[in-house]
Amino acid sequence: MNFDLDTDQRDIAAGAREFFRGNAAPAAARAGLEGGRLEPGRKALADIGFLGITVPEAAGGAGRSVLDLAVVAEQGGAVLAAPSLVTAARAAVLLADQPELAAQLADGSTAFAVLDGPVRGSAPSVDAADATLFLGLDGGDLVVGEGEVVPGRPLDATRGLASVRLTSRRVLTADAGELWTRARQVAAVVLAAEDLGGADRAVELGIAYAQEREAFGRRIGSYQAVKHMLVDAWAGVDQLRSLVWWAAWAADCAPAELPLASSAAKAYAASTFERAAGTLVQVHGGIGFTWEHDAHLFWRRAKVDRLLLGDEAEHLDAVARLAVAGALGG
Amino acid sequence: MDFDDSPDEAGYRARVRALLEEHAGELLHLAPGQEGVDARRHEPEMRRTQQVLADAGLVGVTWPREYGGQGGTLVQQAIVVQELARARVPGLINHIGIGMCGPTVIAHGSQDQRDRYLARLLRADDVWCQLFSEPASGSDLAALRTTAVRDGEDWVVNGQKVWTTLAHVADFGILLTRTDPDRPKHAGLTMFVVDMHAPGVTVRPLRQMGGQSDFNEVFFDDVRIPDGERLGEPGEGWRVALTTLMNERVAIGGAGGDIGLPVESLVQHARDRLPALDGDRQVLARQAVGRAVVAALAARYTGYRRLTVLSQGGIPGPEASAGKLAGTEAARLVADAGVRLLGDDAVYAATSDGDDRWQRTQSWVPGIAIAGGTDQVLRNILGERVLGLPPEPRSDKTEPFSGGRR
Repeated sequence: MNFDLDTDQRDIAAGAREFFRGNAAPAAARAGLEGGRLEPGRKALADIGFLGITVPEAAGGAGRSVLDLAVVAEQGGAVLAAPSLVTAARAAVLLADQPELAAQLADGSTAFAVLDGPVRGSAPSVDAADATLFLGLDGGDLVVGEGEVVPGRPLDATRGLASVRLTSRRVLTADAGELWTRARQVAAVVLAAEDLGGADRAVELGIAYAQEREAFGRRIGSYQAVKHMLVDAWAGVDQLRSLVWWAAWAADCAPAELPLASSAAKAYAASTFERAAGTLVQVHGGIGFTWEHDAHLFWRRAKVDRLLLGDEAEHLDAVARLAVAGALGG
Repeated sequence: MDFDDSPDEAGYRARVRALLEEHAGELLHLAPGQEGVDARRHEPEMRRTQQVLADAGLVGVTWPREYGGQGGTLVQQAIVVQELARARVPGLINHIGIGMCGPTVIAHGSQDQRDRYLARLLRADDVWCQLFSEPASGSDLAALRTTAVRDGEDWVVNGQKVWTTLAHVADFGILLTRTDPDRPKHAGLTMFVVDMHAPGVTVRPLRQMGGQSDFNEVFFDDVRIPDGERLGEPGEGWRVALTTLMNERVAIGGAGGDIGLPVESLVQHARDRLPALDGDRQVLARQAVGRAVVAALAARYTGYRRLTVLSQGGIPGPEASAGKLAGTEAARLVADAGVRLLGDDAVYAATSDGDDRWQRTQSWVPGIAIAGGTDQVLRNILGERVLGLPPEPRSDKTEPFSGGRR
């Protein structure tokens, strides 16, 4: 038993942390709500190689594991980075047999998005707002094409959500149901990893404030009402990290465990990030629900992410069905 | 990252499994569906089972060799626990002694005490209990009132302990007493080994809300303890108790074991009962089952992370409190889901065929959120020692405990 990151992965995490802290800040998520530029942006992510982490080396990627990608995604989540690495993870699975397109994904020369729902009018899909080429499931086939993009008014601009109607269509893989399902599961793991980073950072910011803000003659973190709220949020993050690592490991090493593990991670991420972000706002009191403070930017991310790629109820149902069908063994 | 045994661990597991097969005829085994064995009814067989396991080298795995242990690792200990469960051998009768009392004697006892007690403890020749909590001192353990007064070569003990697991079958206990009420509460305590068969020791079962009696009350009336049975110096009892409590925290929920019924039991129960519920109830029950499974897996895999750290030489820290907190919440969700699956029978104490497993579990859950550190005390520990938040102001740490009450 060795359930921990290895030295290499710790180095990857440290490098990613440095990159994201240097090239993106939550403040950009606020600017994005008013039409500003999102950070670090697709080009910067491509240049440092993060869009191709799980793309095979033959196609210009790093050919690394989903766990490596999840470790990087966590660091991006901590600064509310955009675009999401969810698309990179999901498209890399879908394009496993398409080296040319995979190369364009990895080097950022094409802005991909993966569409949820029908390609004649998709559900709001991650990072579709500024994408130019779309992957979708049409009658069981994996298709690629261009499309007409209809964004809604963003609740969280960093997710680049938009509905898309494909205007052209080419079949990449016929009968791609299983591939599509696996790609969505891997995407859910990476989304949970980004949520882990966001929730972890939200708790960190809440703790820092509770250590310095005073009320009634002492620091508010000394009151059990505040302390216990932060501990519960922190404990959720600690538990979520275990589920994210397990699910990412399953994507790489134990495909039979991936369906249950990814649903468990995504379901737990939804409630954990919501609680962490809600706690961040609450601990800050009045300043916590102003436009100027970053707290609502984490809160917005949590409120949107919980519904993407299946909400908590959908994934809890999947966990129960899979477990009853024998996915835990025994 | 992997969840497989290393070659060393696999070899150890094979040896353990072979030993359990070799001695199967001499060991107690749980019947199908049976979860545990009542020490009130099966004391001799439970003692005998532990003795056989000890002689096979499967008890005190992490204890130092010089005290009769195996000098093994926490991972080896976890492997033994897993293999015992696999072989359906019930938990050891002397689990309190092995997990808490013994390590305290090793750390703070005299050589004479170690020689007299430890080997017998491992073989369950003597069963041990831990005499800490009192009616007026639960979470605030240092407020305890049981007194020990020096009288020649002896100490004379008077007072009452409560929530004492195994006191009714125990031969010895570690007993925390107040020896100097004029000092601040933490500074006036002293720890002893007490002979549970000594005159003046009275044990009464304590009946819990679920109807069963897992614990006892213990009364001390002028019980004489020789000074040689002291553990640590007079006034050092709090420091000695912290050794015990740290070991307790690791024993309960430190390393990936389920608290309460294992999640696999819930899944099997769901497999049996879901089809009998109507459509809408099935949907709601699956939500409850899914939530419980996720919480239990999160607690289990977090335990694996802790175990990995410990196996690489890490020291158990206050993070272990998070394991108990999460395990308790998972146990609550598992019990709730299990009861919900019973449909109309959920409002009774047992199903029509007499099965009360889920109702009993439900009535046991409130207790685990209290025993071994309440949820609230654990949150204080985590908040202050892991998150670095400031403590609440306290006035009871410096005043003399007696404070004019005498």
